[in-house]
Amino acid sequence: MATQPQVVAQVPAGAPSNPTEAKVRELAKAALAEGRVDYVIGWRYGYDRSQAIPAFISDPAEADELIINPLIHHNLVTFLKRKMPDPPNAKIGVCVKGCDSRTLVALLQEELVDKERLYVIGVPCRGTFERRKIEKEFSDEVVDIVVSADRTTVTATTRSGESKDFAFDDVLRSQCTACRYPNPRYADVMAGEDAPARLEGEPVWPGIDEFEALSAAEKDATLARVFETCIRCFACIHACPVCYCWDQCVCRSRKPKLVGQKVEASENLMFQTIHMFHVAGRCPSCGACDQACPVEIPLYLLHRKMNKELYDMLGFEAGVDLDAKPVFQTFKIEDALGEH
Amino acid sequence: MKFLTTDQLDAFLGYVAGQARVVAPVKDDKGVVLFRPWAPGMPVELDVLLSKQSAKEYVFRQSETYLKFGYTMEGLAAAQTESPEVAHAAATEAEVAAVDVAKAQDARVKAFETVVVDPVNEAPAQVIFGLRPCDVRGFVQMDNVFSGYGGFYFDPYYNAKREATTLVAVTCRDPRSTCFCTSVGGGPAGTEGADALLTQVEGGLTFETFTPKGEALGAFPGFAEVSQAQSLYAETVKETAASRVAPAFDLEGVRDQLRENIEHGDWHDLAMRCISCGTCTYVCPNCYCFNITDEIVETRGERMRTWDNCFNPMYTLETSGHNPRDIKSNRFRNRFSHKFWYYPDKYDSLLCSGCGRCVANCPTRIDIREVVRTMGSPRPVTVTGEEA
Repeated sequence: MATQPQVVAQVPAGAPSNPTEAKVRELAKAALAEGRVDYVIGWRYGYDRSQAIPAFISDPAEADELIINPLIHHNLVTFLKRKMPDPPNAKIGVCVKGCDSRTLVALLQEELVDKERLYVIGVPCRGTFERRKIEKEFSDEVVDIVVSADRTTVTATTRSGESKDFAFDDVLRSQCTACRYPNPRYADVMAGEDAPARLEGEPVWPGIDEFEALSAAEKDATLARVFETCIRCFACIHACPVCYCWDQCVCRSRKPKLVGQKVEASENLMFQTIHMFHVAGRCPSCGACDQACPVEIPLYLLHRKMNKELYDMLGFEAGVDLDAKPVFQTFKIEDALGEH
Repeated sequence: MKFLTTDQLDAFLGYVAGQARVVAPVKDDKGVVLFRPWAPGMPVELDVLLSKQSAKEYVFRQSETYLKFGYTMEGLAAAQTESPEVAHAAATEAEVAAVDVAKAQDARVKAFETVVVDPVNEAPAQVIFGLRPCDVRGFVQMDNVFSGYGGFYFDPYYNAKREATTLVAVTCRDPRSTCFCTSVGGGPAGTEGADALLTQVEGGLTFETFTPKGEALGAFPGFAEVSQAQSLYAETVKETAASRVAPAFDLEGVRDQLRENIEHGDWHDLAMRCISCGTCTYVCPNCYCFNITDEIVETRGERMRTWDNCFNPMYTLETSGHNPRDIKSNRFRNRFSHKFWYYPDKYDSLLCSGCGRCVANCPTRIDIREVVRTMGSPRPVTVTGEEA
């Protein structure tokens, strides 16, 4: 058999670029070496240095491939949900950012993952990028994204060497611009000093004011237009850590039949609405669904709106307190009176 | 070979639209490029190399109605108003149940007596413009499945559309890093299956035709004769493009090694970061798995074919509840083995045209090239599901 030529599938990470990254590698390496976990889920570079992919590290030597930088948007908690771990009883180390940890808290509150089999490495987060915003500023392919040491400038470079600078805040994912919980709400160990919150006090909901300002007819038209391109690939729900009946999903079931098989705007919206209601009270707007969607549907329109309603009506935020009861498993008289 | 100046492109599409529906890559308000029915005034996007999704939807519809049916109200009304005395006459609960079953069966028989079936197979003439050569090969590879290759099934729905469709390809000037058409027998200026091929050169596009359908488009009066310089330029564009596609793997031995490695533990490792969604198969120009279901509302319904995908947890779920591909890595293995082993066994070609959409659009960037390289080569022996 001929020698196979090499196309790089994962580019090497190199020396640690920041203290958190170094700490994550150290913790992962130790956990693997001690046999505390079978593998550690973190992030590594994909086929170029402009994107991160989930990394499953089982060899301590490979822990040096782990990266921590604003490219690490994936919420790795989705790999803990039912039927994901391989083997099913694996002891898993997992890296979580602030929003990721809130989805883990939601799963723990419902006793859907076994705390004893987890080793949670908390990653203080200063925001992750919307790579698509950067990508669309170029006609050529972006292959490298570098952040300046003071975290103000982001430099993206294409294959042909064309470079552009962006302000750090301009290329953040929209939920990161209003993040109130950048540090994990639950972790076995923290990989570094706490990151400052972007927002203190009352939450704001990027993009929702604009949506709410529309008339009912305009909202209908917006949703119809937005969901017309959905290809029902289910990447959104599979990327979603708190959407765990994924292999028994009512949106695909024939009995009962709640969603038609016909792929069209109204059925697509029906499917997404079911998802929205089903994760209500567990969804912290981590945006994993937005990032996974291949046709870039702004799914946050539904989920963020739901979270805003839950906050305004019940004063509830998902996954911020492990000891709290999930919103739909509790009732307080003040809730009915709207006096949270 | 003819020449179309850039400012004549809209006129050309308008001319074609006068005879058939035109489908072309267009950018939506989010900047996402998708194949959409074209109307005069819509800018066609030829600079973004690949649309997010292939154009297979326009021949192999994601939801396709085979037939519409309905039962007339008499049948149903009769079933609902069946005389209640029969049930009252029965003494025991078991007898009541037996009568109910008989009644239900009667109602079903009556309903079938009055069922109205209306077959649907719409296939208006269409021209898909702005395909890449890999997209066109996707149709050629799907043809094997649906068009009776080797005496297998001939699908009237797929073929009606396929026959009514003209495929106009555009040479890829600047292949992406995820492209690997040359590793699977194609090329950025490949003409297999194309009715016509355009190549972007200075000032416009050269236009070549390969079939009567392509030649029919050549009747557009706005074409100029191609100059020698333009035709040489086009040749250079094609050669440069081909040289920019990095070799991804050597196909030799891949099929045998996939067979050899079917139970290999490395499948588990490769599938680890897969979230088991269907993005790769739904953006793919030749993944063709489908479901057939009835969509019924009261007394009317449609029987339709909809895309399925092997990452769907319910894919191959049997009525008994057993699923031979119950775990993620088994479903994962299916996609690659199908493309490079099962399909080649049956149709003597590959089920991959190297567009790389699955690589670029995968939420976790799973790389089909890496999978083929890894599992298509001899592996160190391991036991399934355990560490090497």
